[in-house]
Amino acid sequence: MIINTTILSWVTFIYFGSAIFYIFRMVTGKEFWGPLASLSALAGLIAQTAGLLLRWFESYKMGIGHAPLSNLYESLIFFAWAIVFLYLIVEWRIKSRNIGAFVIPFAFLSMAFASFSPDINTRIQPLIPALQSNWLISHVITCFFGYAAFAIACGLGFMYLLKGLEKGENSGPFLRFFPRREILDELTYHSVVIGFIFLTLGIITGSVWAYSAWGSYWSWDPKETWSLITWLIYAAMLHSRFLRGWKGKRMAIMSIIGFVSVLFTYFGVNYLPGLHSYF
Amino acid sequence: MKKTILSFLSSLKLTIALLIIIAALSILGTVIPQQYGAGESFTRMSPGLVKTFRSLQLLDLYHSVWFIILMCLLSLNLIACSLKRFPTSWKLFTATPSLDRAKPFEDLSSDNIVMIEGERSGITSRVERLLMKRYKRFRRKDTDTATTFYGEKGAYSHFGVYIVHASILIIIAGAIIGSLWGFEGFVNLAEGEFTDTVYVGRQKSLKKLDYTVRCDKFSIAYYDNGMPKEYRSDLSFLENNAVIFQGPLLVNHPVTVKRIKFYQASYGSIPGGRVHITITRGNDKGTTLTLNLKDSFCLKENGAKVTIQRIEENFMTMGPAVLLSIHSSKANTQLWVFKDIEKMKRAIPNLLQKVPKFNPGLFKPYYFELNSIAQTYYTGLQVSYDPGVSTVAIGAFIIVIGFFLAFFSSHKRLWVRVDEQEGKTRIMVSVQSNKDPVGLEREREYLLRHFKKGS
Repeated sequence: MIINTTILSWVTFIYFGSAIFYIFRMVTGKEFWGPLASLSALAGLIAQTAGLLLRWFESYKMGIGHAPLSNLYESLIFFAWAIVFLYLIVEWRIKSRNIGAFVIPFAFLSMAFASFSPDINTRIQPLIPALQSNWLISHVITCFFGYAAFAIACGLGFMYLLKGLEKGENSGPFLRFFPRREILDELTYHSVVIGFIFLTLGIITGSVWAYSAWGSYWSWDPKETWSLITWLIYAAMLHSRFLRGWKGKRMAIMSIIGFVSVLFTYFGVNYLPGLHSYF
Repeated sequence: MKKTILSFLSSLKLTIALLIIIAALSILGTVIPQQYGAGESFTRMSPGLVKTFRSLQLLDLYHSVWFIILMCLLSLNLIACSLKRFPTSWKLFTATPSLDRAKPFEDLSSDNIVMIEGERSGITSRVERLLMKRYKRFRRKDTDTATTFYGEKGAYSHFGVYIVHASILIIIAGAIIGSLWGFEGFVNLAEGEFTDTVYVGRQKSLKKLDYTVRCDKFSIAYYDNGMPKEYRSDLSFLENNAVIFQGPLLVNHPVTVKRIKFYQASYGSIPGGRVHITITRGNDKGTTLTLNLKDSFCLKENGAKVTIQRIEENFMTMGPAVLLSIHSSKANTQLWVFKDIEKMKRAIPNLLQKVPKFNPGLFKPYYFELNSIAQTYYTGLQVSYDPGVSTVAIGAFIIVIGFFLAFFSSHKRLWVRVDEQEGKTRIMVSVQSNKDPVGLEREREYLLRHFKKGS
C-alpha cells in the first residue's frame, strides 16, 4: 500500500478515537475527556493534511501530478478534512466542546467509507481529459466546504431536537452538557449561512467549468439539478427564518432535511444517468 | 382585486411555496429520463407512460410550460417583494435621527454607563476622537449640560437582500437571452470531412454557419495504465476556401470562431479502417497493398481470391489483426494475420500448432504480414452560441457581493451622551443593530473599555 493511504486510514482511527472521547465526555460528564477529544481531532487533522500533501506530491512523482481531489476516495477524504477543519474553528470560536460528539462522527464515517469500502479505488489515478481544468480545485474545495458546513448544521439540528427531550433537573449529564437551545439555534443558522455561501460559490465555479468543458454553463445534469434543489431547500429555510422568524424545532428539522439533500447530491446522483460520473 | 393580486405576489408564502415546488419539479426531472440525450431509457418504459409523460411535457421538464410559469412567478414574486420592502430599507438607510431624542438612553442598564473623574470638555473631545475614527456617518450636538454624539456604519447592509434578488433576476434574464438568441448544435465529422451545418437537437433543425469547419485529424493519447489522457481534434475553419483559423481543439479548451464556440464533446471510430499488408511468396521481395474492409485481391498462384473479412484494432487483446478469407478452386480458408505475430510466437512457443488459423503462412506458398491498421476516427463537436453568458456571469458575480452584504454586514447605530452627575463625568452608550448581535456586543465592549481607560 502506498504510504499516503496508510496515513489516511490511520486518520480514520484517530477520528474514531476523537469521536469516542467527545461522547465519553458528555455521557460521563467528566471534563477530563474534553482535551483528549480536541487534541486527537487536531492531531488527526494535521496527519490528514500531511497525508493529503503527500498524496499530492506522490502524484507528481508518478508524472501525473494533480491535486488530490479527483475521485470518490479523494473527495471523501477532503469532505472529512473540511468537517474537522470547520469544526475546530467553531470549537475555538465558541470556546466549547459541547457539539463535537455530533460532528466528528460525520468525519469518521466519511473516512471509514473512503478507507474500507471495497468499491472505492484508493489508488492515485491520472486525470481524464474532462477533469484537466484549473477549475477542479476551486470547484471541489468550495462544494465540500459547503457540504461540511451543512454536516455541522445537521449535527446541531439533531442536538436541538434531543435537547427538547430534557426534563428539568433529573435528566442525566448527557443532555445537560448540550448548549442552550437558543445557542444551538444560532449556531445552526450560522453554519447554514456559511454552507449556503460555499454551495453558491461551488455552483458558480462548477458552471464556469461546465461552460468550458461541456459547452454550457447549465445542462440540467442530475448533479447540477440536485445542487440546485439543495440550494432551494436552504434558501426556503433562510427566508422563513428572516421573514417569519421561524426558529428552533423547524430550523432543526430543515437543517436535517437539507443535509439529506446534500447527501443525495453527493452520492445518490451516481445512480442517475448524467455527466458527473467522476465522484 | 388589484390589491389582492399584489399582496399575493409579494407574499412570503408564495416565495416558500415556489421554492419548494421548483425543487419538487426538479427532483421529478432527475427521476424521469429527459428527452434530450436520454433516448434509450424510453425503450424500458411502457408506451402508455411515455405518452402520458409527453403530453404533460414531463420528458423535457426544464423547458416545459410548467417550469416556465413557475420561473415567471418566482421573478414576479422577487420583484413584488422587493418593491414592497424597499421603501422601508431606504428610510432606514437615509434616516437621520434627531440628537435630542431621549429614547436611546432610557432604561439604560448600568453596564452601558461609565462614570469617570475628570473635566467634561476634555473627556468629550477624547470620546469624539475615538468615535470619529470608527464611524463615517457621524454627528454631534451640544447643549449646556450635555454633548450627544450619533454615529452609524454599515447602513448599506439594508441593500444586501435587494442585490441578491436583483442578481437572480439578472441570471434569469441571461438564461432567457441565451435560449432566445443562442443555439446548441452538434456535428460529427470524420477525419478529412467538412461541413457548414450543425444539428440543433432542441429545435430538431439544421443550423447553417457562416463558414466551413473541417476536421483534419482526430487523435487520442493514453496514459500508461490505459486511461485516456487527451482527446484532440485538429480543426480548420474556412471561408471562401481560405483558412480563417486553424488549431487544435481539446476538452476544457474550446475554440471560438466568430463568437461561436466549438467543444470537443465525443468521438468514435469509423468501422473498419485501412490496412497495410505485405504478401511474400517464397523468397521474393513481397508486395505491399493498402486495403479497406471487404476489399479483395487475387493471388497469382491458382487464382485464389483474398478478402479482408474483418479488421480489429485489438483482437483478443493481442493487438491489431485482420481476418482474411481465401477462396480458391481447391479450398476455402480463413486466417488471422496479427501485427505482433513474432512477439506472440515467443510468448506461446507452440501457438501455430495449437491455432493453425493464426499462422500467417497457412496458405502456402504465401506469407502474409500486417504492417499497420490506420484507424479513421470521427470527432463529435458541440457548437454553441450563447449571447446570455456575460449577463449570467455578471449576475453570479453580483450575487456573491450581495451575500456578503446580506449575511456579514450589519447596520450599527450608536448614541453616546456625555454629561455630569454627582461631580463626575458620565458617558452613556446605547447601540443598535439590524442583525449580528454578537458583533454589536463586541463593538459595545470595545467602546466602553476605551472610554474607561485613560481617565
